[in-house]
Amino acid sequence: MAAVAESLSFLGLTPSARDPATAVRRRNRGPRNRKKGWKRWAGPEARLGREIGDFLEDVTLQQRVAGGLIAEQPDAGLFFVDTGNAEKGRKRKNKIREKPLHIDLVLQPDSKVPPPKDILSYQIPNGKKERRRRQFWERLAQRGVLPRAERRLQTRLQNAAGRVDPGRSFYDIWADDNPLERALVGQDSWFLQQTQKQRVKRPPRLQQKPSQLPAVEVIAPGGSYNPTFEDHQALLLKAHEVEVMKKRAEDKVERQLRFPTAAEAPTAETVFREQCEGLLEESEGEEEEEEEQKEEAVGGAQPSDPPRPPLRPGKKTEQQRRKEKEARAQELRRRQEKAWRCRQQQLFRLRSLGRQLRRWEQELLRRRRAREAKRREMEGRPRRLGRIKYEDPALEVQLSDELAESLRTLKPEGSVLHDRFKSLQKRSLIEPRERAKFKRKYRLKYVEKRAFREVTL
Amino acid sequence: MGGLEKKKYQRGSATNYITRNKARKKLQLSLPDFRRLCILKGIYPHEPRHKKKVNKGSTAARTFYLLKDIKFLLHEPIVNKFREYKIFVRKLRKAYGKSEWGTAERLKDNKPTYKLDHIVKERYPTFVDALRDLDDALSMCFLFSTFPRTGKCHVQTIQLCRRLAVEFLNYVIASRSLRKVFLSIKGIYYQAEVLGQPITWITPYTFAHDHPTDVDYRVMATFTEFYTTLLGFVNFRLYHSLNLHYPPKIDGQAEVEVKPAEGKEYAMDSESYLEKLSALSASLARVVAPTQEDDVEMDEFPVEGETAEQMDARRKEQEALEKHKKLFEGLRFFLNREVPREPLAFVIRCFGGQVSWDKSLCIGATYDVSDPSITHQIVDRPRVEQQVVGRYYLQPQWVFDSVNAKLCLPVADYFPGVLLPPHLSPFVTEQEGDYIPPEKLKLLAMQRGEDPGEETEEEEEEEEEEEEDDNDKDEEEEEEDESEKEEEIKLKKMEEQKAQSNKALPVKVTAGKVRLEDKQRLEQEQQSEEKRLAIMMMKKREKYLYKKIMFGKKRKIREANKLAAKRKAHDTALKEEKKKTKKARRA
Repeated sequence: MAAVAESLSFLGLTPSARDPATAVRRRNRGPRNRKKGWKRWAGPEARLGREIGDFLEDVTLQQRVAGGLIAEQPDAGLFFVDTGNAEKGRKRKNKIREKPLHIDLVLQPDSKVPPPKDILSYQIPNGKKERRRRQFWERLAQRGVLPRAERRLQTRLQNAAGRVDPGRSFYDIWADDNPLERALVGQDSWFLQQTQKQRVKRPPRLQQKPSQLPAVEVIAPGGSYNPTFEDHQALLLKAHEVEVMKKRAEDKVERQLRFPTAAEAPTAETVFREQCEGLLEESEGEEEEEEEQKEEAVGGAQPSDPPRPPLRPGKKTEQQRRKEKEARAQELRRRQEKAWRCRQQQLFRLRSLGRQLRRWEQELLRRRRAREAKRREMEGRPRRLGRIKYEDPALEVQLSDELAESLRTLKPEGSVLHDRFKSLQKRSLIEPRERAKFKRKYRLKYVEKRAFREVTL
Repeated sequence: MGGLEKKKYQRGSATNYITRNKARKKLQLSLPDFRRLCILKGIYPHEPRHKKKVNKGSTAARTFYLLKDIKFLLHEPIVNKFREYKIFVRKLRKAYGKSEWGTAERLKDNKPTYKLDHIVKERYPTFVDALRDLDDALSMCFLFSTFPRTGKCHVQTIQLCRRLAVEFLNYVIASRSLRKVFLSIKGIYYQAEVLGQPITWITPYTFAHDHPTDVDYRVMATFTEFYTTLLGFVNFRLYHSLNLHYPPKIDGQAEVEVKPAEGKEYAMDSESYLEKLSALSASLARVVAPTQEDDVEMDEFPVEGETAEQMDARRKEQEALEKHKKLFEGLRFFLNREVPREPLAFVIRCFGGQVSWDKSLCIGATYDVSDPSITHQIVDRPRVEQQVVGRYYLQPQWVFDSVNAKLCLPVADYFPGVLLPPHLSPFVTEQEGDYIPPEKLKLLAMQRGEDPGEETEEEEEEEEEEEEDDNDKDEEEEEEDESEKEEEIKLKKMEEQKAQSNKALPVKVTAGKVRLEDKQRLEQEQQSEEKRLAIMMMKKREKYLYKKIMFGKKRKIREANKLAAKRKAHDTALKEEKKKTKKARRA
């Protein structure tokens, strides 16, 4: 009732007075002569009516259930300690479960003929035979005879000296009776050759190495962990020279690709001249040429020889033939005489000829030596074995302030692995190559996930 | 006239070479397999002299092989193994794809393997051939044995490399064949003389790896695979040449000492054997116990065409070698935990020293720090607390320098905290006239048995001495330069005197002076005179060559002088700096 009193207390005394909260609200329009209109009607009176109705309903519900208002009831009347009888509830549930489902009843076999017995569940097929066999092998095993499969397994395990087996056994391969060649000793070489039991002989050419460089090149004395001053300076100088060369190459590229300065940059005039390049000169030349042509035309027209008749391949006369023949013979004779005279003369030139010959031989010798020297020089260098040229690795060097005070504080420079790899390349044992690039067969497809797309920041 | 037209590229060098791809197709192998086969068989690509002819007119750079080499490869049984392996991989992949685990297991059991024994025999028909190629094998094995077991290569390979490397080290110790050691910034270079063959190898410092990316690990692993096989056989043979057990056995007595529980906590039973072996502290068991009778000196027979002098020189050399081998005999070393244990233990044991270390550092320690019989303790700290009387505390460089100098160097320069003398490379041999740094000169003097001035603690005196040394050297060089000129001047003087004497015929007789004849001087003069005459008599061309040679020599000397001057300047600068710091400290 208090709530009602409260709500009433806000009502104005005069009928025209209104609740200030609803003052601004627009009045609901609509016909109120019908029930539909009443529901929409939400004036202060209607609200009040609804609230009172709710309240009364609640009170009657409490009286019905709890026999009075709950707020006035003592705690003992409202709550109790639940010591509940669990068995009772379960029993009830079990009762429901005990009854089989109808579907199960339907699926029950109702045939009067009993199902056949599964014999295999009682006995093993070929049991007797198997047992006998097992006993047989057991007896054999006692005598030390194993079945074939087992034997093979054992031999394989024994011979399992694989290529990466740390426990492999080594033997004296260079001895006269090494296991490699033991089987072949004393047999006919023709037979071995024909049955391909003897390996093909390695050609002696392969015993030579491609390069005479040592396998392990010792670093220069300046590479000592505690070098002398001079050695260290020498090594530094070498490293410096390498760096200078590198820098020079870099600078060259830089210079060639540099953006031109304001002085060098093209102006409008130079651009125009460049565009006209060739056009103007060409036209001048053409004019000259044309003039020349004209002159030629004028000059050439005056002499105007009549065209010479082509030589007719007519038949030669007898006389002509004879004369030609004689001329030929005379010419031949003349030449022979000349050659003979030359030969005669050469007899007197013997000394100078000898000198010439000697000079020529010396020249040949010089050329041969130069060729050999060049070849020797080339032999020291790594060969060109592929697309990529061999490049010397960067020199390992420590600057003066990087040098270690003692062995404990030494920081190793470079990598031995890299050094070995480069050494193999330098000796032309392997070709220098790039690392194979990973190439994707199909292009990747990028999809933006929905969850990701919806995030907006 | 007539005949068929010859086609291009059907004879000559075009038919002698084959490109890599064609060779690969001929062998029916994939490129990695082909590469592996070539490495194993020792067949390397060639650079033809006329590329354009070989390449059928194209000038593109390609890899060529000799056709005959490839034909030789066709006979290799390993090629079939490679094909089998390819099929095995295919089957295994299929089994895995179908989730047939049983099949996969069966296939794995039957994994095709191959052996390289016959290739080793084929490539190295004699043992000496194998020894000559051991540099590469050793370097590779030592390198791979330091790899972390992270899957860059097979763990078994790493273990095998480690085992073989340790075995070789033990052989070098047993045979006392180490000659040179050089600590560089890259790694440690060793040189040993095995059966008369010098063998050089490099080992990286421990824990120095950053795996470079521009190295083809597959190629390196293939090389290593072959070299491990080679090194195994070489080790076997080497051990047998010394009557040692192979696989190596630790000497019985030492084994009993090492046995106690100490080993158990250090490594598993399966590993402890290799660990003990790699500790390098125990000597190896011999098949036949060495007896004193074996050490009887051999009778020496003169080699034909050898003079007495040569024989003498040879004998002297041999004596020096024997002395070098026993450099550390009787010395007992103890390694502190901050020094690199393995190289030091190896070097010391190679020259007959005894070595031990802290028990917690590594297996195989034979005696304790407190042992009073220790003569040298290797320390790498600026200062040592609690020094024991009766032993030298030295920096590790002393061991290496002593080995290279072939004598136990004076210890004063190597005390802890002292600025070390430079570590010289033993692989450098100076030619006549080359610049030799003062440190090396001092060392050479010591080797000759001279004492290059007393070793005094005071720096200044030392420096003065060094300066004196430098001066002496400079003078010597100058003398060499000017000796000829001086002789010429003298000769001129003599000639003048003679001429004068001839002109004014002496009528008077004066009292004669006894002229002391310096025989040596006369001899020298005569020699120089002869030399001069010989030069005069030379042909023009020879004279030109002679002058060129002399010019080269002089230039070398000049350069050496320049370096010496530079060094002097450097030294004086250092000295002044030191003085300044001293003064500053005093003030």
